[in-house]
Amino acid sequence: MTTNVFKSEIIGESYTEVVLENGLRVFVYEKPDFDSSYAVFGTKYGSIDTAFSLDDGDVVNVPEGIAHFLEHKLFESEDGDAFTKYAATGAYANAFTSFDRTCYLFSCSNLFEKNLDILLDFVQNPFFTQQTVLKEQGIIGQEIRMYDDTPSWCVLFNLLEAMYHKHPVRIDIAGTVDSISKIDDKLLYKCYNTFYDPSNMFVCVCGNIDADAVTEKIKNGVRQSNCSEIKRYDAVEPESVVRSYVEKQLEVSIPLFCYGYKQPVSAEVTLYDSVCVNLLLKVLSDDASPLYKKLTDAGLINDEFDAEYFTGRGYAAILFDGESWDPRAVADAINSEVLRLKKDGIDEELFEAVRRDAYGLAIKRFDSVNGISMMLVDGAIHNYNIYDELEIIKSLTVQDISKYLRYFNADKSVLSVIKKGC
Amino acid sequence: MQIFSEIAPGVDGIYVENTRFNTTLVSFNFFVPLSEDTVADNAVLPYVISSCSYDYRDYSKLNFKLDMLYGADLNIGVDKVGDMQRIKLAISVINDEYAFEPQTLIDDAVELLLSLVFRPAVENKCFFADDVEREKRKMKEHIIGEINDKRVFAKNRMLSLMFKDMPYGMSKYGTAEKVEGITGTSLYEAWQRLITDSYVRVQVIGKKLPDGLFSRVAEKFSAHRSIQRKVYPTAAPAPTADSVNEVTEYYDVSQGKLVMGFSSEVYGNDAYSLSVMTDIFGGGPYSALFENVREKMSLCYYCSASSVRNKGLLIVDSGVEVENAEKAVSEIVNQLELIKAGKFSKFIFEASKKSMCSSLKSYNDSIGALDGWYSTSVFEKTPKSPEEVSDIISSVTIEDVISSANGIKLHTVYKLLPAKEDK
Repeated sequence: MTTNVFKSEIIGESYTEVVLENGLRVFVYEKPDFDSSYAVFGTKYGSIDTAFSLDDGDVVNVPEGIAHFLEHKLFESEDGDAFTKYAATGAYANAFTSFDRTCYLFSCSNLFEKNLDILLDFVQNPFFTQQTVLKEQGIIGQEIRMYDDTPSWCVLFNLLEAMYHKHPVRIDIAGTVDSISKIDDKLLYKCYNTFYDPSNMFVCVCGNIDADAVTEKIKNGVRQSNCSEIKRYDAVEPESVVRSYVEKQLEVSIPLFCYGYKQPVSAEVTLYDSVCVNLLLKVLSDDASPLYKKLTDAGLINDEFDAEYFTGRGYAAILFDGESWDPRAVADAINSEVLRLKKDGIDEELFEAVRRDAYGLAIKRFDSVNGISMMLVDGAIHNYNIYDELEIIKSLTVQDISKYLRYFNADKSVLSVIKKGC
Repeated sequence: MQIFSEIAPGVDGIYVENTRFNTTLVSFNFFVPLSEDTVADNAVLPYVISSCSYDYRDYSKLNFKLDMLYGADLNIGVDKVGDMQRIKLAISVINDEYAFEPQTLIDDAVELLLSLVFRPAVENKCFFADDVEREKRKMKEHIIGEINDKRVFAKNRMLSLMFKDMPYGMSKYGTAEKVEGITGTSLYEAWQRLITDSYVRVQVIGKKLPDGLFSRVAEKFSAHRSIQRKVYPTAAPAPTADSVNEVTEYYDVSQGKLVMGFSSEVYGNDAYSLSVMTDIFGGGPYSALFENVREKMSLCYYCSASSVRNKGLLIVDSGVEVENAEKAVSEIVNQLELIKAGKFSKFIFEASKKSMCSSLKSYNDSIGALDGWYSTSVFEKTPKSPEEVSDIISSVTIEDVISSANGIKLHTVYKLLPAKEDK
C-alpha cells in the first residue's frame, strides 16, 4: 500500500491517494466545513473499449453499447436493487457511462459509511440472467430512441461519425437497438470480469468525512485482483475526416450546428495541453473576443454558442456548437479568425483577461464536493494532481498557447447541422 | 441568515453567512406581477442591462471587465415564482485573497452590478436601438428554440393549457410576437417600473458581508422609490375542472411525451405535506411512478412528479412510446389512487422523507442553490432556512400525506406524439 499526499498552497487544502495491494486507487478529499459528501466508484471502461484481450489471450470484440448496458444491469443484485438500499439511507444515487469510464456515485448528508458499503457491495457483486438482460434491452432501446429525438445529442454524434473513420468514439455511447440485441449474460460477465478488476478501478470521495476511516473501510471492503493485464485494441485512425459536412432533419426551429477540427493524436493529450487549448478557445471565442462580437452583431450566434476541447484515449477535437440560421457562415468566420490569429498573433490584454477568467473558474470548482470528486475522477484516469491546473494557468504566456493554433486545421474540419425537415 | 427589512421601500436584504466557499455572491431579485402587457419587456430588460451600461457601453468591454475580475459570473435569470415574474441579476466572484496581486474583487464586482442596475446605457429615456435589437433577436430565438427540447416544451405547453388566460399560464419570456413589439422606450419604462415599483430582494452569500453594501443599495433605491410599497408577491391556487382537459399534438419525433397537470386542495407556503406526497408519488427511484410505471411495467423511459406548493399544482412528466401513452395515463392515475387509499409502504414514506431531508441539508453546500432557495421563498416575511424546512418535513405524518393526496384532482393531460404519417 502506498500513500501520496497532494497539497495546494493556493487553496489551502490537501487530499490523499492510497494505492491498495490489489491496485485499486483511493482518492480522499476532506471538506470538514461541508454538510454533504460525495463518492464515486469507477472503472476505466467506457463505450470505446470494444476490442480487448486479457493476459495476451484471444482478442474479444464486443457489441457497441455494452459498457452502458453493464452499468444499467449492475444496480440489480440477488438481494434486490441498489436504489432500494439507498432509499433506506436517503442518499441520492446515480451512475453514468462515457467514452472512457463508467462511474457509480452517491451523495448524502448522513450515513456516509452505510452508503459506501452499499456502493462497494453492488458494484462488486454482478448478477445477470438472460431474462433480466432481455428486459433491459427494452428499457435501453427506449433510452436510445430518446437520444434520437434530442437534437443536441444527434448534432454531436453525427459530427463524430463524419470525423472518425474507425475510432469507436464515432459510436453512440448507448449503442444501437441492433447492437444491444447481441448482448447476453455471458458477454456481460466477460466484460465485467475484465474491466471491473480493482487494478482497473478507482474510488474518489470528497466531503465531511474522515480520510483514514474511509480508506480503511474501502481497504476492507474490496476484493483481490484477478487480472494481470488488459490490452485494448484501438483501430488505427487516419488523420483525415470521413466527410466535411453532415446534415440531419429533426423537429427544431433554429438549426443546430457543431463545427469541429480533428487533431491527429500521437500521444495522450496532457493536462498542460488541455489547459492551453482551453485558454486558446477563450481567446478565440469567449464573449469578450472579437469573433464573438462579430458573430453576435451579424446575428449569427446567440447565447447557446460554446466551445470545448473534446479529448480521450486516441481522439482529440476542438468543437464549437450552438444555434444559427447560417452554420456555414459561423464556420467560415471561425476559420478566418484562426487565420488572423496565426498571422497577427494573440492580443496580450485579451490573453491576460481570459487567463484570469480561467483561474477564477478553476478556484470556484473547489467550492463543490461533487465538482472536486469529478476532478479526482479525471485525475485518476489521466494521472494528474487536481491542483496542477491552477499552477499551469498561473504560469502561462501568450507564446505558450500560440503553439496550439496549429491544431485548427480547416482541411480536417467537419460541420454537422440539424435543421427542420421540409 | 440575517434579514435587513425594508432597507428602502419594498426592498429587503438578506445576508447568509457561509464560510465554506471561495466565492461571494450578490443577487438582485426583482418581483413584478406576470402580465401579458409587460412580461416580454421585463424578460428582455435584464439581458440588455447586463450586456452594457453607461460605464461599459460595449458588451465586449463589459465581458473583458468580468474576465479581469477572475471570471466574475454575471448570472441573469427570468422565472415564474407564484404569479410573479422574478428578474434576477447576480454576480459571483472569487474572494479577494485569490487574486494574483492585492485587489478588491468583491467590492469591484458589487460596484459593477450596481452600475448595471442603476446606470443603464440610455439616452432621452430610451435604450439604444442596437442593444435592444440584439437582445430581442436572441430572446426570440430562445423562445422559438424551446421546441428543440421536447421535455421542457411539453411541460410548458401543458401549463399554458391548464392555466389558460391566467398569469401562470404565460411563458416567463412572453411570446416572440410580444418581444418583436419591444422598443427602446418600452424597455426604459420596464426599467423604471423595476426600479420604482417592484418588490426587491437583495441577497448576499459569503464569508463576510461587504462593508456598507446594504446602505449603498438602500441609498440607490430610495432615490427612486416612494414610501408606499406597491407590489407584493402573490400566488393564486391552480384551477380545478369538472372534466379532464385532454390535448394531443403531433410533431416530427420518434418518442412521445406525456405531461399531466393536477390541482391540489392543499396549497400555500406551509403545504409541506404536498411536497412529501409528491415525492412518494414520483420523486426518487423508490417512488410509486418510478417503481411501477417505469420499472415494473416499462411504460415510460422516465416518469416523475413535481409540485409547486404555493400554486397547489402537481405535474407528472414522462417520456412514452406512442403505443403506451393511454396505458401510462391510466396507470399514473391508478398509482395516485393507491396513495389516496393509503396503499404505500412505511418504507417508501420514510425513504421519501430521508431523501428530501438529505437534499435540503446539502443546500448549504452550494452558493447557487442557496441563492435560488432564498429568492424563491418570498411569500413569507421571514424565509425559512433549508434546515428549518427539513425539520418540518420530518414531522409530516402518513395521515398528512393521505389527506394531501385526497385533495389532488386531474385537470389536464397533454400528449406530444409522433406525427401520424411517421407511424
